[in-house]
Amino acid sequence: MKSHAARARNAALLVLLLSLVGASAQEPLRPPANGPKRPDPAWHALVGATVHGAQDDATLLNTTVVLRNGVIVDVTTGPVPAGARVWDCAGLHVYPGLIDAYVEVKTPLPDSKDPGAHWNRRVTPRRRALDGAGLDAKTAQALREMGFCAAVLSPKGGTFRGRAALVSLAKPDKERSSARPPVLRDDVYQAVSFETGRRRDEDTYPNSQMGAIALMRQTLLDADWQALTRLTTNEQGAPNALDALAAGAAAAGPLLFDTRNELEALRAHAVAQEFGRPALLLGSGFEFRRLDAVAEAWKQAIVPLELPERPKVASIGEADAVDLRTLMTWEQAPTNPRRLQARGVLVALTTSKRKERSTFPESLRAAIRHGLDEEQALRMLTRNPAQILGVQDQLGSVERHKRANLVVSDGPLFAKGTKIRDVWIDGRRHEITPPPGASLEGEWTLTLDPPIEDAPRLVIGPKNKITVKSGDAKTKAREVRVVDNRLSFVFDHEPFGDPGVFTMSGVLEGATLHGDGMRSGGERFRWKAERTIEASSKDEEEDADPPPEVPEAYGTPFGPYALDTLPAQETVRIVGATIWTAAGPPIANGELRIVAGKIVYVGERRDEETAADFRVIDASGKFVTPGLIDCHSHTGISGGVNEGTQACTSEVRIGDVTNPDSIGWYRQLAGGVTCVNSLHGSANPIGGQNQINKVRWGVRHPDDMHFEAAPQGIKFALGENVKQSNWGEGHKTRYPQTRMGVETYIRDRFDAARDYATEWKAWDAAGREGLPPRRDLELEALAEVLAGTRLVHCHSYRQDEILMLCRVAGDHGFKIGTFQHVLEGYKVAEVIREHALGGSAFSDWWAYKVEVQDAIPDNGSIMHDVGVVVSFNSDSNELARRLNVEAAKAIKYGGLSPQEAFKFVSLNPAVQLGIADRVGSLEAGKDGDFVIWSGDPLSTFSRCEATWIDGREYFSLEKDRAHRRKIAAGRKRILQKLLAPDPKKKKDEQEDECDEAEQEPKPKARFDLRSLRAAARREHYLDLIRRGFDPDDHRCGSCGVGGAR
Amino acid sequence: MRYAALLTALLLIAVSVTAQDLTRKAAAQKAPVALVHATVHPVSGDVIDDGYVLFDGGRITEVGKSAGKMFAGTVQVIDVTGKHVYPGLIDPNTSLGLLEIGAVRATDDFNEVGGITPEVRAAVAVNPDSTLIPVTRSNGILTVAVLPSGGTIAGRASILRLDGWTWETMAVRADAGLVVRWPLPRPIRARWMDETDEEQMKKARRARHRVREAFERAKAYLAARDADPSTPLDLRWEAMRGVLQGVDGKRQRVFIHAQDYDQIVPAVAFCAEHELKAVIVGGRDAHLCAALLKRHDVGVILNGTFRMPKRNDSDYDEIFTLPARLEAAGVRWCMSSGSRASNVRNLPYAAALAVAYGLDPDVALRAMTLRTAQVLGIDDTLGSLDVGKSATLIVTDGNPLEMTTHVERAWIDGREIDLRNKQTELRDKYREKYRQLGLLPDQG
Repeated sequence: MKSHAARARNAALLVLLLSLVGASAQEPLRPPANGPKRPDPAWHALVGATVHGAQDDATLLNTTVVLRNGVIVDVTTGPVPAGARVWDCAGLHVYPGLIDAYVEVKTPLPDSKDPGAHWNRRVTPRRRALDGAGLDAKTAQALREMGFCAAVLSPKGGTFRGRAALVSLAKPDKERSSARPPVLRDDVYQAVSFETGRRRDEDTYPNSQMGAIALMRQTLLDADWQALTRLTTNEQGAPNALDALAAGAAAAGPLLFDTRNELEALRAHAVAQEFGRPALLLGSGFEFRRLDAVAEAWKQAIVPLELPERPKVASIGEADAVDLRTLMTWEQAPTNPRRLQARGVLVALTTSKRKERSTFPESLRAAIRHGLDEEQALRMLTRNPAQILGVQDQLGSVERHKRANLVVSDGPLFAKGTKIRDVWIDGRRHEITPPPGASLEGEWTLTLDPPIEDAPRLVIGPKNKITVKSGDAKTKAREVRVVDNRLSFVFDHEPFGDPGVFTMSGVLEGATLHGDGMRSGGERFRWKAERTIEASSKDEEEDADPPPEVPEAYGTPFGPYALDTLPAQETVRIVGATIWTAAGPPIANGELRIVAGKIVYVGERRDEETAADFRVIDASGKFVTPGLIDCHSHTGISGGVNEGTQACTSEVRIGDVTNPDSIGWYRQLAGGVTCVNSLHGSANPIGGQNQINKVRWGVRHPDDMHFEAAPQGIKFALGENVKQSNWGEGHKTRYPQTRMGVETYIRDRFDAARDYATEWKAWDAAGREGLPPRRDLELEALAEVLAGTRLVHCHSYRQDEILMLCRVAGDHGFKIGTFQHVLEGYKVAEVIREHALGGSAFSDWWAYKVEVQDAIPDNGSIMHDVGVVVSFNSDSNELARRLNVEAAKAIKYGGLSPQEAFKFVSLNPAVQLGIADRVGSLEAGKDGDFVIWSGDPLSTFSRCEATWIDGREYFSLEKDRAHRRKIAAGRKRILQKLLAPDPKKKKDEQEDECDEAEQEPKPKARFDLRSLRAAARREHYLDLIRRGFDPDDHRCGSCGVGGAR
Repeated sequence: MRYAALLTALLLIAVSVTAQDLTRKAAAQKAPVALVHATVHPVSGDVIDDGYVLFDGGRITEVGKSAGKMFAGTVQVIDVTGKHVYPGLIDPNTSLGLLEIGAVRATDDFNEVGGITPEVRAAVAVNPDSTLIPVTRSNGILTVAVLPSGGTIAGRASILRLDGWTWETMAVRADAGLVVRWPLPRPIRARWMDETDEEQMKKARRARHRVREAFERAKAYLAARDADPSTPLDLRWEAMRGVLQGVDGKRQRVFIHAQDYDQIVPAVAFCAEHELKAVIVGGRDAHLCAALLKRHDVGVILNGTFRMPKRNDSDYDEIFTLPARLEAAGVRWCMSSGSRASNVRNLPYAAALAVAYGLDPDVALRAMTLRTAQVLGIDDTLGSLDVGKSATLIVTDGNPLEMTTHVERAWIDGREIDLRNKQTELRDKYREKYRQLGLLPDQG
């Protein structure tokens, strides 16, 4: 161990060095002093404290921390250096200054007319958080009051928001020649978010989450491509927005993704991975809801600690309206930091992303009550953010050579009632709470001069409440004033004899109060008092709420119907049922055998050759069919089904925003659906790329739902939706507004895609020498359509537009995947048969808009009879649950055989989607996706009893019953917890629910089309709710347009 | 801009005018008709195998066993061997005739402005030539209640037979009761909601106040008008005479749209306080307050089963099992399709879904016929095949609850109606196209 002397020498050297560096770096930037110079020795010793967060996370008792010129020069139990100003910290605690790794600040937007600006106003990567006014004084003060000494300022708003900087939270000195609070590190990250616009105008792009991701992707591609261009050619050009995002540029990284939920955290990770960019997660506080996947994706995270509001459950109606996921989220949210930490994620906590910043300590205490270790909590506010931000050499602990950022508190930092005394930032003291005056609590016996009998006593309680006692008489003092060590009060003398008011003042000297008094008659007297009974020690029990009981495990997805593990892949025989294979005639008393997720046998029952390791399911009297396939679904798509801003959005991908939490999936499983075509909406002629999913409820990662073997596709749309006919008067400028324009637009895009493909072919042909062409994700997807590797699924109604697209496809030599809805398909079936894999319709929806007036329920059967491969789809979370009886409508309207009708929801959609080699029928070699029905699958009286996917039983009535029991128990438990008295609620607030009289309506300020439209939309949705429909569920024909998101 | 809007509106009107039903209305019954050798489902009693139904002058005159039954020479005897006869189905909650095309505002006649509009009456705005009407009745729905649905007190409902040259000849009851839409009990938190919780609750409190005010003021008005006929006429409160004072000693119904426990309970309590004859429309939470509904003999019109459960954690089949649960609890409920107009024809499948999830199929049938008539107060003439009731009935090739069943013939008040409609015409037209192209075999 080094001697004290040696350490002192080193420290002195260090200080000298630092001050020299500091002086030379700062001097030229500062104005001359106003008046004489005011040098500050800036040498302090905090003596006798309990020091937390010292070297190696040690806690040191009775220790002195020496600061000089803004730096910690010693942490020692040795003697206090003679030159330092001494701060008695006996009984106090010293912590490293806290760091908030994310604080948003308003930052001016760049001029959109600047030639270097990106076309999208949300892409402003060059913006610096320091460009604007910086952190406002109020927020800085609020942060300091909680012990924060440094914070990262990050620009507010946008997709690529701009560059963040770590700054000192020191209060700027009024003296203009003093050093300004320093920037501790510039370009700590580039902030990125999934921000979207709410409107559907073209310049709002993106207005969906998949659009936001597509914008990120294209922007990063462009940045990399531009960097390559600049590197390999002489075309340097003027610097522009994209330069700030080039890989390796200081301004470019790491990318900090601001996320609003746990699924966004996974999507952010996918983007960062795709481009190999270093990245940071700014979490949502909901990571616990999909912990495994999030912890696997992110090794570091900055997370907020906003706790959900307490659900209201105090009446029968209220309690019945709250769902389990909301209850569980409320219960589990405080465990988020500790759960992340336990999974090996390096967590930093931020006070941002909450309604009220100053209540952060309260939330932190809740997290600690819920099992977060206090030392971990401290690390999450000190060491961890320092490490994540790459400033662990400067910040994060109380160690020599580190910046003199300290918090001094009168108790353990996170304990209730602890007050922060001082915050030291860059070696400067910021007083937060003045030290309390001497404590006078206890019972004091008075000696009066002149003396009196029955020496009176003063009982001084908490908050300086004083009772004057003499013998049995007593009275309360009034006008009590305690300033530093001085005390004064008055009291009514009547209980002690003569009426009137006495006045007393005193000073604490050592252990004795010395004072003067004045009787009611004006006579003075002197008094002194000795403490005869000490103050009772603080009642700590009130503070110690018992640690709440919170279940450790909750399965996936978070909420109801969660699975602890995915159902096992079973080796299974289903015997005795009538099997409809969708490939051949029905098999009475049949058998279906599944091994390793695949069908190995389907046919007559063969008990004789049974291997012992098969689970046998006796399904006698029941029916077995292939799993149903919904060829048109919008279930489980996060953040908007439409990127409805631009007329062509072929760059967006439904697969980017799969939401495995949607309860719609489970309900569809219960209706026998195993596979769905998740489609973009129909807000534009060329929409986004679809995603074919298997309904694998309970998967760990959203992408695990994706049907790996399915061909790629894309949504097109024609007619009223794409020409915005029913969007209101505000939407009359985007091209196209007519069916004529729709054709032109689509042809034009295909021409552009052909040119694009040609450019790439040329580069390929030239041996891929030199700079590759710029990748354009929009045209790339369309080029794939032309190349026949991406199937078009086209929303369509009228025969004219169907014919038009067939001609376009014919001219460009590609085959269309499906016409969707295709309600007038029966008028041009012979053309569809030639140009598309099939038509996917609603069975009988019509009359909801002008272009569906001629829709007829015989549409499916007529198309089928003419030779089109036909499917019936749902386009609705609700209808998807009963597709089997939808198929029966092809019997009612058109007289198809039951077997042919059933193919409308099984084999035919599989053919249309290009997945018939894997699913759609029960044949050896295909996937083990099947359904067990209680009776004839086309009968309205039958119900689905079990649904299997990949040889796994995802739904059965028995499993469902177990879910119900678990849900009921979970609800009961959390409701009881919520009904226990709320410690935070001050009094029993009575909520006034009196009906109100009409008030004079306010005169309408002005005619505002937008707010009128918003009101109309709101009323429309409220009307749906009154009628018992959920506006958030997609409905047939709405196709995501006109529906709520 | 303004002219453009006007022009668009005119164009839309022009388009809507083309949405016309061209089938002829049926002529009055001239001779008695007997449907013989049918499986007769009277609903009010046991099924009669090989039975007959005789009707004359629009009324059912006999129902019985075919065996040995002889008919007078004047009777038109129709042999329907192997077929089934049922009463015409009734949908108690539609906007049929008030709405043609959802997206075209010009065709919306169910939503009046003002919030409190008891004075408006559905029947007068019903378009007898709506294309939706023949499509609806082609699946056996022969009677519907039409409910206006704007504001808090939306107006007055009408009950219509789905055949007639004018709305007057269609009306079974032009004035069938008042429609109230009970305010929502708690704020909606959704992405599209642009009002704060407080704003929403303030609106709801005001709306509840307005309902109460309307009934109080109507009572006061009627008392004043009865005592002093020179009291100026107020169409709003005059329109509430039927629900407050009754017609022929019977109080007209108040149809209250209410889904949530916290809507149903206050709505029923309000009606009890004012001695109103309440019918709950919606009734998603009716099972939670079954005792209350029974105590006050409140009927419940469920709006279909094609709806999602209340909460994410609700049983997936919560809505499907609701009818069976209400039945077990003894609540007087009936079924509506849940469709406003275009797919009212799917009423039987809404009921059938409940059968798949535990409801007795006979009860499901009753919940589209006799029970509905009782809830609407028209069971004196409709809802079952009983002597003296209207000859409003259907002949089918199976149970109407099954998707594969066809309605082959139908009579309304003894008049046989044309079951063709625009959709069947289009079907025939385009099947002909493919026959011409040689893609479908020639007929016959």
